[in-house]
Amino acid sequence: MKRSRLPLLVTIVVLFFLYLPIIILVVNSFNASRFGTGWQGFSMRWYARLLHEPEIWRAARNSLTIALGATVLSVVFGTTAAVALHRFARSRLQRFHYGLVYTPLVVPEILMGISLLMAFAAAGVRLGLGTIFLAHVTFCVSFVAMTVLARLQDFDFAVIEAAQDLGAGWGTTLRKVLLPLIAPGILAGALLAFTLSIDDFVITFFVAGPGSTTLPIRIYSMIKYGSPPLINALSTILLTVTFTAVAASQRISRSKG
Amino acid sequence: MKRRPILALLVLAAAASFVSCGRSRPVLNIYTWAEYFKPDIIRRFERENGCRVVIDTFDSNEAMYAKLKAGASGYDLLTPSSYMVSLMSSQEMLQPLDHGLLPNLIHVDPEYLKIAIDKTMHHSVPYMIVNTGLAYLKSKVADFVPSWSMFDRADLKGRMTLLNDMRETIGAGLKSLGYSLNSTDPHELRQAKEVVLRWRTRIAKFENEQYKTGIASGEFLLVHSYSGDILQVQRENPDVAFAIPREGTAISVDDLVIPKAAGEVRLAHVFISFLHDPRTAAENTVFLSYLCPNKEGYTLLPAELRDNPAVFMSHELRARSEIFADLGAANALYVKIWDEIKSAK
Amino acid sequence: MKADTRKKLQEALVSSPSLLWLGLFFLFPTLLVFVLALRPANPYGGIGQGWTLENLRRLADPSYLEVARRTLEISLVTTVICLLLAVPIGYYLARVSLKWRNLFLMLIIIPFWTNFLIRVFAWKVLLHPEGPIKHILVFLGLVGPQTSLLYNAGAVVLVSVYTFLPFTILPIYAAADKFDFQLLEAARDLGARKFQAFRRIFLPGIRRGLFTAILFVFIPALGSYVIPDIVGGPGGELIGNKIAQRVFVDRNLPLASAISAVLILSVLAPLAAVLFLQRKDERPEIL
Repeated sequence: MKRSRLPLLVTIVVLFFLYLPIIILVVNSFNASRFGTGWQGFSMRWYARLLHEPEIWRAARNSLTIALGATVLSVVFGTTAAVALHRFARSRLQRFHYGLVYTPLVVPEILMGISLLMAFAAAGVRLGLGTIFLAHVTFCVSFVAMTVLARLQDFDFAVIEAAQDLGAGWGTTLRKVLLPLIAPGILAGALLAFTLSIDDFVITFFVAGPGSTTLPIRIYSMIKYGSPPLINALSTILLTVTFTAVAASQRISRSKG
Repeated sequence: MKRRPILALLVLAAAASFVSCGRSRPVLNIYTWAEYFKPDIIRRFERENGCRVVIDTFDSNEAMYAKLKAGASGYDLLTPSSYMVSLMSSQEMLQPLDHGLLPNLIHVDPEYLKIAIDKTMHHSVPYMIVNTGLAYLKSKVADFVPSWSMFDRADLKGRMTLLNDMRETIGAGLKSLGYSLNSTDPHELRQAKEVVLRWRTRIAKFENEQYKTGIASGEFLLVHSYSGDILQVQRENPDVAFAIPREGTAISVDDLVIPKAAGEVRLAHVFISFLHDPRTAAENTVFLSYLCPNKEGYTLLPAELRDNPAVFMSHELRARSEIFADLGAANALYVKIWDEIKSAK
Repeated sequence: MKADTRKKLQEALVSSPSLLWLGLFFLFPTLLVFVLALRPANPYGGIGQGWTLENLRRLADPSYLEVARRTLEISLVTTVICLLLAVPIGYYLARVSLKWRNLFLMLIIIPFWTNFLIRVFAWKVLLHPEGPIKHILVFLGLVGPQTSLLYNAGAVVLVSVYTFLPFTILPIYAAADKFDFQLLEAARDLGARKFQAFRRIFLPGIRRGLFTAILFVFIPALGSYVIPDIVGGPGGELIGNKIAQRVFVDRNLPLASAISAVLILSVLAPLAAVLFLQRKDERPEIL
């Protein structure tokens, strides 16, 4: 029985589509032109300038730290939420729970940002990296929960009960039975959360405090007065680092057998 | 599952970076536009005063205001535009300045202060002056006339942009009819609306930042723009020219202000005075291609800027140009017109 | 009885982390939005005292209807295109070996760890009137030399699809991964055609993933304002732009809240309806 080639074809075309702007971005980071006047010659000046911009590196570090932390926490909360929503589905608590998880997805970001700021201000909480972290976890939880929930469709908890009947404790059941089964959902959710956090601008803008700039905030304001090619250079560096890390981890996992 | 150890390592690395270095020096928190001070100058200030300067950036006056109004604090110095300053002052968000801590204020250009909103520098000191005007490609735009009516040109249709700024664009409409750009007369405003609606059919889009790239790359032929930006573009593409419309234009000024709840008040004052040391003022002017209104600083500027009519307007043009004032309750009038302009078919 | 209480306890335990977190950091701010919608604005960007229905009255203005219609149209088109692309990809990823699967996933998501604005600007370069794409299209006779690829609804849809695609792919992949593909083989053994099996067995088998994917595209698309701002035309304002304008330019937070409240309610209403209709359902799960 012949398998359709269509899915593979679509995947390849879409990958090409996804990388088109990335190619432009990388090429332009070597463009001597500041305003994109067209190719003005090969130049490493933007990379050289990056060495003298501690503010940008600080912002990048902040973004990364928050993204990692927010991903970990929102994956934990999101997974427990999804498990609860699926396992105890019909109860009144879960229906309220579902509404609570669903709604952050539909609130416009500007309003979420301003209302969070007002809430923090009213509570006297000082703005800073901490408040950004709290805000990010809040909107990521919903995304993770819904993604893991998608994975849980038709999942029968009888498997869990069977394992426990066979004598497995909670820890073992969790580690050896439940988590492996929903791992792809958790991974997808984690990738989603990380992406959302590292690129968030609107909400972060409102809840950031002095000295706690993230990369998106820096970039947005640089677009107005600064040099976009600098950001292209930074992005190229980040991309290179990420690709290397992924390639390395693939190598490691392959050698583990 | 094979991802786990790597994830754990990354989390540990992240946690490690959370450990912050000790804060023994005072910190000056500035909230401003991106790349608004020459980096050398900041470093010089840090060295001379044994402190650290932390710069946070915003991309619009309104965003900064919305954030501060909703309760954000922690900043010692801000650089809003003048009209925003008068708004913030009326909302009691600013501190009066102690002129005793500002010896360099004597260098501030008195000619500028004559048209300033805060003439006595009670709560604000001007930092940079920007003129709005028309930038165009000399080789592509035939018969250029320094007038707002260029936006009516049919041969430039689809290759022009207007600023996506309510005050700037409605202001341009008002100026083209000979009215004040701070007008609150409904009749005048209605006429200005008609003008802008007419211009809207000729432009490619409303654009606030990307006109720079647009004109440099030839995507646009004529753009509504700010002087300093265009001066920077000209260094790369000499075909770009900048002109102030003869009907007069908008002059924007960014001021240095200290918010009421600032921590490092004395240090903020020292910084303000530092910026008006003539040498520093001239350096920042050259860095940004805008104009710091510092009389002694003018003499230190290179000819490229000193003789540039886009930077130093002729007296008659200056007389016909205005600075934006805050409209207060009349803001709603402009909002309605802007809405109608934006949503018309 | 004891088993029942134990189950209730378990439920409370597992639900509590998310309930508490969201209750604390999300519920209050959201309720604030609804409260603000009913307060008057003062012209200096503050919030007045007392209550008013003025903001809701302002929403009846016909210009909002036009903006809403435009937003809905663009969001729907974007969602449909994203789904059409994401489903085959999710299908493919779920069938491929683990090594390739993780590789592809990373390849798909890594471009989105660069900055959003930079990617949008890269599209502006790509769609530039003198750019390579335009030249190719003119060469193929698909567009005239005067047509602009930018500053119209098409550009907004293109860049929106680009932006939201990974958020569509991930949940569909998550759902497809658990799907038992042997069901498809069985169906075909029983005589079903390929597409029939796909439509009748695969799609329902990932219905939660589909629903989530739609959620992750449609809603953000409804509220997006940066994309129409940068690549949209002068007549291309969407609801998100209006909200942004109300907050920043008009300094009218209550009105912005009112628009948002209506937006939120109009999206929540279908969910509430579904939950209500399903309350007597025998099926053990929500959706």
